[in-house]
Amino acid sequence: MLAHNDRSRNQTEYSKPMLIARRLGWVDALLLVAGYVALDWASFFHPLHGLNITPWNPAPALGLVFLLRYGWKAAPPLALAVLLAEVWVRDLPISLPALLAIAVMLATGYGAIGDILRRRLGGVGIFSDRDGMLQWSGIVVAGTFFTSLAFVLVLVALGLIPAEDWQQAVGRYWIGDGVGILVSMPLLWMLFDERGRTVLRATVLRRETIGLVLAAGMALWVAFGLGAESDFKYFYILFLPIIWAAARQGLAGAVLSAALIQVGLVFSVQSLGFAAVTAFEIQALTVVLALVGFFVGVVLDEQQRISAELRQTLRLAAAGEMAGALAHELNQPLTALSAYGTACEELLARGDTGDNLKKAIRLMVSESFRAADVVRRLRDFFRTGTTHLEPVSVAELLPAAAAAFHSRAAENGVTLSVMPVPEGIVMADRPQVEVVLRNLLANAFDAVSAQPAGQRTVRLSAVVEGADRICIRVEDSGPGLSTVDAARLFEPFNSTKSSGLGLGLAISRAIAEAHGGNLWAEVGGRGVFSFILPFERKTDHD
Amino acid sequence: MTDMTVFIVDDDPAVRDSLGLLLGLRGYRTAIFADAESFLGAYAADWCGCVLIDIRMPGMDGLALQKHLRERQCNLPVIVMTGHGDVESAREAFKAQALDFLEKPLDQARLAAAIDDALDRCAASRQESGQRARFAELLKTLTPREREVMDMIVAGGHNRDIAERLGISPRTVEVHKARVMQKLKVDGVAQLVRFSLETR
Repeated sequence: MLAHNDRSRNQTEYSKPMLIARRLGWVDALLLVAGYVALDWASFFHPLHGLNITPWNPAPALGLVFLLRYGWKAAPPLALAVLLAEVWVRDLPISLPALLAIAVMLATGYGAIGDILRRRLGGVGIFSDRDGMLQWSGIVVAGTFFTSLAFVLVLVALGLIPAEDWQQAVGRYWIGDGVGILVSMPLLWMLFDERGRTVLRATVLRRETIGLVLAAGMALWVAFGLGAESDFKYFYILFLPIIWAAARQGLAGAVLSAALIQVGLVFSVQSLGFAAVTAFEIQALTVVLALVGFFVGVVLDEQQRISAELRQTLRLAAAGEMAGALAHELNQPLTALSAYGTACEELLARGDTGDNLKKAIRLMVSESFRAADVVRRLRDFFRTGTTHLEPVSVAELLPAAAAAFHSRAAENGVTLSVMPVPEGIVMADRPQVEVVLRNLLANAFDAVSAQPAGQRTVRLSAVVEGADRICIRVEDSGPGLSTVDAARLFEPFNSTKSSGLGLGLAISRAIAEAHGGNLWAEVGGRGVFSFILPFERKTDHD
Repeated sequence: MTDMTVFIVDDDPAVRDSLGLLLGLRGYRTAIFADAESFLGAYAADWCGCVLIDIRMPGMDGLALQKHLRERQCNLPVIVMTGHGDVESAREAFKAQALDFLEKPLDQARLAAAIDDALDRCAASRQESGQRARFAELLKTLTPREREVMDMIVAGGHNRDIAERLGISPRTVEVHKARVMQKLKVDGVAQLVRFSLETR
């Protein structure tokens, strides 16, 4: 019985749409009605047959945002808003029941679009990735087509549109509605969302915004001021500010500049007195403009999100690698501590409280300090994501790194040579740099393992470059790298080995960069990795 | 037990010093080496006891040392210690017949158990090898015929078969067999078979 209850509860949870519909309060309903009527009033120009068929109809975008946020509960106030807009803004010569029917029909149509969007995209995912964006535009384009068709057919039936004009009317209403929703909805959606508002505010409050506004104004002037006489052949100039904004600030930038350009467009169209047909053509272009901007913006957002996630992963992986190296260092003093501690017990048990005990306790204290030092380094790494820099002699560093490989070299018949190293120091986190060198050497050993015996050599060398850089090179007689390999080599999770995650080189590069250096692979017939570190020729330190 | 030594090979001075102190207090004889090379340099075949080896050491690492010891036919039991117990090195260590694999920081009880186990084994194997040496000596006291009979017994022959093949009476075989057992100081056929197989 209990199990049954549990299951049924789970099922209802799963079948719920992901976006939880909020409670629609009086204030929200009022905001919807007032906003809808205001938008409709502001955008009522170039009407077809005096009807709500205009080149730009952003009011439904507001309706859709409310439908998405509040579910079907927002449909009645939306119907009311449509009705009020028809009465106040247009004052049509039709009966109230007919108006009511139109309002209910439109609200139902938008409600259906909103419902599909909620189901398909769960509300949260619409403007966060390309897929959501694509689905959203598809649903809006298809949805507005059907509402336009229904709307126009009703109007034809009521005799408000001549029957022979129905195709043109559907086309115009579709463009007006579609463009209105496609261009305005992302902005309205963000405005009604707490996080969206924060992002928008951060986007607007930049010095670059001034430049963007100027560029948009300039583009509008070129497109309409200069281009008016030549069939708007400079319309494409308008792409520049929107691409600029999208490429710099992601979707928020694209949304804002699309709105800016849309308003500028409407203003230009109004003040220059274009013919209605031209206005519709311009709107069709505008929607392309806006969508291109949105997609660039969304791609940028996605890419930034992924790169942030990747940086986090890399940092964790680098930390993991570091933790592995440090765990050994930490376990040594802990081993000594526990052995000394047990020895102290032993001494006490046999009543030896003299110098032996004192000495053991003193050693325990010094071991605990040693452990604390390791922990401090690990903590510093986690805190800063970087490093504990100390002067390290290059002449010590390289042979020490190579020392760990001598037995492996002997076993695998690899000639490992360490070239004479220039005197000087690097400011480095020694364990981290050792991780990099070990990694490079291990890769070099793997690279030569397939070569015939006698032709397996690995060479570790260092040359000073310029005044303050040292280039540590790990060369091997392996097959080398192609251009494609070299480009993909440092991508994480791209391993040529069957074991391992392929994070080694990505982490190594991250460590090199954290040291103000660099790490790259050269393309050629043998393996060459160059690891650059800032270098001081003269050793002032001790 | 007194001449058995725990050999500690670890590059960390504090670790080997503390282990030396502790094991010394517990009554073990200890010898300390800072690296694999110095241990190998000092190694003598008559050493008895066990070796505690740290895996990660500069120069020759613990696993390589283990291999070298096996190549030298050294049968000192080996206990491997490691700072990070990765499966791969544990596998390597056990493949090279490590007796135990201890993670640092060491659990003192497990360490003590491992060392005692190792020393017991060493003692047992020394006893075995002593017995084997004695057995080899005793074998020389057998007459050729007795030796012949013994080999047939070890190969699994019955008294009657042996008598038939050697052309003597089963009763004579019985007599030879009793003499063999007596001379070699074994309690039964099973022990005789085991010893003779081991000395072969």
